[in-house]
Amino acid sequence: MNLTKYIESYNEAVFETDKPAALAVVNQALHDGYSPEEIVFKLVIPAVESMMERIEKDPDSNLAQHFMTAQIAADVTEKMLEKFSTPPQIIGKVVIGAAAGDLHSLGKRIVIGCLKSLMVDVVDLGINVSAERFVDAAVANNAQVIAVSAMMVHTATGEHGSLEIRALLKQRGLEDKIKIAVGGAPYRFDPKLYQKVGADAWAADGVTAAKVIVQLINEVKA
Amino acid sequence: MTPLQILDAAINGTPAPRIPIFCNLLDQGARELGIASKEYFNNGTKVAEAQLRMLNRYGHDNVWSLHYVGKEAELLGCQSVLFADDGPPNVADFVIKTWDDIAKFEIPADITQHPAWETVADCLTLLRREVGNTHPICAYVTASTTLPAILMGMDKWMELLLMGPADLRDALLRKCNQFVKQNITALSAAGANVLIYSSPFGSTYFVNKKILQSLIMPWMQQDLQPGGVHDVVYYCGMAPFNDVIDDVFEQLQIKCHYISPLADLAVAKRIIHRRGLTCGVIDDIKMINWSADETRAEVKRIIDIGKTEGHFLFGTGVMPMAIPETNIKAMLDAAFEYGALA
Repeated sequence: MNLTKYIESYNEAVFETDKPAALAVVNQALHDGYSPEEIVFKLVIPAVESMMERIEKDPDSNLAQHFMTAQIAADVTEKMLEKFSTPPQIIGKVVIGAAAGDLHSLGKRIVIGCLKSLMVDVVDLGINVSAERFVDAAVANNAQVIAVSAMMVHTATGEHGSLEIRALLKQRGLEDKIKIAVGGAPYRFDPKLYQKVGADAWAADGVTAAKVIVQLINEVKA
Repeated sequence: MTPLQILDAAINGTPAPRIPIFCNLLDQGARELGIASKEYFNNGTKVAEAQLRMLNRYGHDNVWSLHYVGKEAELLGCQSVLFADDGPPNVADFVIKTWDDIAKFEIPADITQHPAWETVADCLTLLRREVGNTHPICAYVTASTTLPAILMGMDKWMELLLMGPADLRDALLRKCNQFVKQNITALSAAGANVLIYSSPFGSTYFVNKKILQSLIMPWMQQDLQPGGVHDVVYYCGMAPFNDVIDDVFEQLQIKCHYISPLADLAVAKRIIHRRGLTCGVIDDIKMINWSADETRAEVKRIIDIGKTEGHFLFGTGVMPMAIPETNIKAMLDAAFEYGALA
C-alpha cells in the first residue's frame, strides 16, 4: 500500500472515531517497513493537515471527530518520537490555557494534540489562567503564540482574559514577538469577537486552531 | 390569554393574539437586586424575586427555576462552584476525578432531601405561587449522556465515551439516568411546567449519527420515558440539530424544538412544520455589541421566518450579562411588535 492510501485509510478511521482501526493502519505501515520518521512526517502530519482541510470545508464535522483526530495523532506521534533516530525539528513554541475564570479543558486538549503532532512545542498552563501568567510563561519559554481557550462569554470577553493579555503585551513591547490566538464556543457565535478581545486570530474548532497557530508562529518567525 | 395559554396555542396551532416570547434572564437577577452572584444563586427566593421583577418590567412570557451549570453536580456531590459577578457559575471540583471513582459514585435516594435542592425548591415555591397558573416556569434538565461532562469534565467524558471500556461507560450512564429521572419528577412536582431537556450529545455537532442512534438515543428514551414528554423541549446546548429533528419526533415523541442560532431556522421550520413547535432563537452573544436597531432587525428576521403558519416561539440563548439593557428591551419590544398575530 502506498502512503496516500495509508493516509486515506487512517483518516477514514479517525473520521469514524475508530481509534483501533486508525492504530491498525499505523501498525500496518510500520510492518510494511516505513520508519517512525516516515510515519510521523509522511503519514500522521499529512493526515492531520488533510483532516484540517476536511473539517474546515465540512461544517457538519463533529466534536468527536476533532477529539479523535487530536488524540490519535498525539498518541501515535508520541510513540513514534521515542523511536526516532535523532530528535525532530520543532517548528515553534506555544503557551496554551483556559482563560481566567474558565475551567473547561476539552478545546485546549484538542489543540494540544494536533499541535504536538505538527511538531509544535506546547506548554500547557491548565485552566483558570491569569493574563499575567500567560504572558510570563510565553516570555520564559520564548513562545511565539499565546493560545487562550474560553468557553463562556464572560471569560472570552471579560477584562481578565485576552483583553488583559493584549494590554500586557503592549505594555511590555512584545506585540511583534508574541501573537494571541483565541478559541471557544462564544467565538463561533460571533466570528468578529476575536478582534474585540484584542486577539490576532481565532479558529472555529480545535483542529483548525492548530493550523491558525502554526500560521502565527510562521508570521512571528518570518 | 395568559402566557401559558399562548404557549399551548402555539404548540397546538390554535388561534392566539401573538407568538410566545421566551427570555432567559436568570443570570441578570443578581444585578437586578444589586447583590453578588454567589449571594443570589445561594438564595432561591431571591432568584425568583428578581425574575418576577424583570417579568413585570419587560412582560415576556416565562421564568426559570434556579439553575446554573453545576447545580446538578452539587446534588451529586460537587463541593466547589466558581461564582463570577460578570457571568454564570461553573463547576470547580469534579465529582469523578478518575475512572475508579465511577464505582463509588452514588445517586442520592431522594434528591429533594439533599441540601442543594433547598434553593431550587424555594425558587419554585415562590414562582409557582405568583405565576404558576399563568406563566410557563422553565427548568433545565441535563440529559444522562451529557451529565458526565459536568461530573468529570468534558474531555474525560469524551475519552470514556469514545475510547473507554463500554461496561464502565454504561455503569456511569445508568447512574446518571437514575438521577435524570429523579430530577424530572422532582422539578415537575415542585412546579416546573416546561422542561428544557439539554442534550448536546443528541446533536451531530457532538457525535456522528451512528453513535447518536446506537448509544445516545436509547439513553434519551430512558431519561424521558417515566413522565412522558408533553412538557419537554429538545435543546442541544446551542448546538445545531436540524438533521436529528425527525429522529426526535419518531423516537422520543418530543414536539418542541429549541433551534440553535447556528442552524438554518427556515430548514428547521420546514422539517417540523405543523407537527410541533419551532423555537427560533436569537444569537444573543452578538447582542453584546449590536445596536438596538441591529437587534430589532434580527428579531424581525427570525420571526418573519417562523411566524408563518404558526407553531412558533421566539426565544433567547444564554443571554450573557454583558448585553446592554437597551438591547434586551429592543429585542423584547420587537418580538411583541413583529410577533403579533392577526
